[in-house]
Amino acid sequence: MRRRISPFTAWNRFWFAPGPAVRLGLARAIFCGSAFFFYLPHDFTEWGTAAPVFWMPIWLFETFHIPALPSDVLAVLQAVWKASLAMCALGLWTRMSAVVAALLGTYLLGLPHNFGATQHFDTLVVFAFCILAVSRAGDARSLDSLLHPSRRRATPRFGAEYTWPIRAMWVLTALIFFGAGTSKLRHSGIEWVWSDNLQLLLMRAYYHVSDGDPLTSLGLVIAQHPLAARVFAATSLAIETLYFVALFSRRARPFIGVAGIAMLVGIRVLMGPTFEPFLICALFCVPWHRVEALIARLFISPSPISEIVEARLDPPSAPPPRPSIAFRSLL
Amino acid sequence: MSRRRRWIINAFLGFLIAGSLYDIVFDQEHWPFSQYPMFSGIWRQTSFTWYRLVGVRDDGVEVTLDRNSYVRPFDQSRLHLGLVRLASAPDAANRLRKAVENCLQRYERQRVRGEHSGPPLHAMRLYLFEWRLDAAAQNVDAPDGRQLITEVARSEAALP
Repeated sequence: MRRRISPFTAWNRFWFAPGPAVRLGLARAIFCGSAFFFYLPHDFTEWGTAAPVFWMPIWLFETFHIPALPSDVLAVLQAVWKASLAMCALGLWTRMSAVVAALLGTYLLGLPHNFGATQHFDTLVVFAFCILAVSRAGDARSLDSLLHPSRRRATPRFGAEYTWPIRAMWVLTALIFFGAGTSKLRHSGIEWVWSDNLQLLLMRAYYHVSDGDPLTSLGLVIAQHPLAARVFAATSLAIETLYFVALFSRRARPFIGVAGIAMLVGIRVLMGPTFEPFLICALFCVPWHRVEALIARLFISPSPISEIVEARLDPPSAPPPRPSIAFRSLL
Repeated sequence: MSRRRRWIINAFLGFLIAGSLYDIVFDQEHWPFSQYPMFSGIWRQTSFTWYRLVGVRDDGVEVTLDRNSYVRPFDQSRLHLGLVRLASAPDAANRLRKAVENCLQRYERQRVRGEHSGPPLHAMRLYLFEWRLDAAAQNVDAPDGRQLITEVARSEAALP
């Protein structure tokens, strides 16, 4: 017989189920490292040269009276931000570097949206930086833990602190997909799928109308087959609207996650918009501790690292409290 | 995890989720929260218009500046949408002219620095291009119609 659990208990179990510190530490290192290399060639200083006539502030900048700073100041800010990303990836002064990465990242990534249009490819990155700033992502796989052995010994290797940041990324990713799906249903209904909408959008994408051009001419091929275009439209809408199922079904999670990534890659390849930052955020959700354990098992046998990780995942003598059957699927 | 810390994290998570749900439910945008409205409308038109900058070389030949590298840090989408908003604002003609002047100054500065491979320009023009969608997009470089909105000469943009 299933035991009913209160929403409060369910909330706490979802966010604060014990998890390995290594998972969050590796997610931090890989996510921030990827973000560092991705944003390294990006130059934000030119926004300081945009004429005031283009300045159309979004609510965040308007509410807090945040200005567009001159190019030389932006150059300093972006250098500090990129350094903070590298330091956060290495886990050096992790808390401070994550806070700096979040604050400056919000400013620098938000700045372009004040010039004419709000685009949506970097919102999840900003959320990820904020989550890292609040989390204890530097407790494992960091220079901080190597340089301060006493602090390392005092830090638990398994705990509630290491689960919520990962799950916050799951939930926010699901909300973003859900928002995109429901926007289409609200404004267009199921006609978004059955009309010629996607055919025409695919054709229009080849007229240099986006922040990136399509990577192939495959979009034009699909546009010439109305059925194919509708199948793509139906698939996209289904992935977006039902993405949140990944939160509740452990079995469906990897498939839905891969489908979401495939959809973003498809948009880039067929239509142009640059959703690469979302792909970087997807790295945050990969259980890297298992990858590390697998690599360690393959190449270093027997491995202290893998033994530790496995012991923490499946402790033989003191397993973490098992959730109820109803809630097990969340984990 | 201390009780206080758990409350802080719960409040933080509540803020992130509530902010996201608010924008989704009320169809609003408060970046970085959003309802993600991109491509949510139904496109029915088989033709469309788009603002496009066109450079004028010293020999008078026009060069369509349709690469994103020519309009950095803008891109062809953001620039068009920004110009649409300027065109619907009071004193639109003056604002559009200032916008083009700014684009010309930046184009030349970036060209001199070798950041793009575009030719030196004598002037920059803003057109509203119109295309009839072609199945193979073969008319991308030859729009079906175009309307000159404004023009700024190099000398007017305080360029040497």
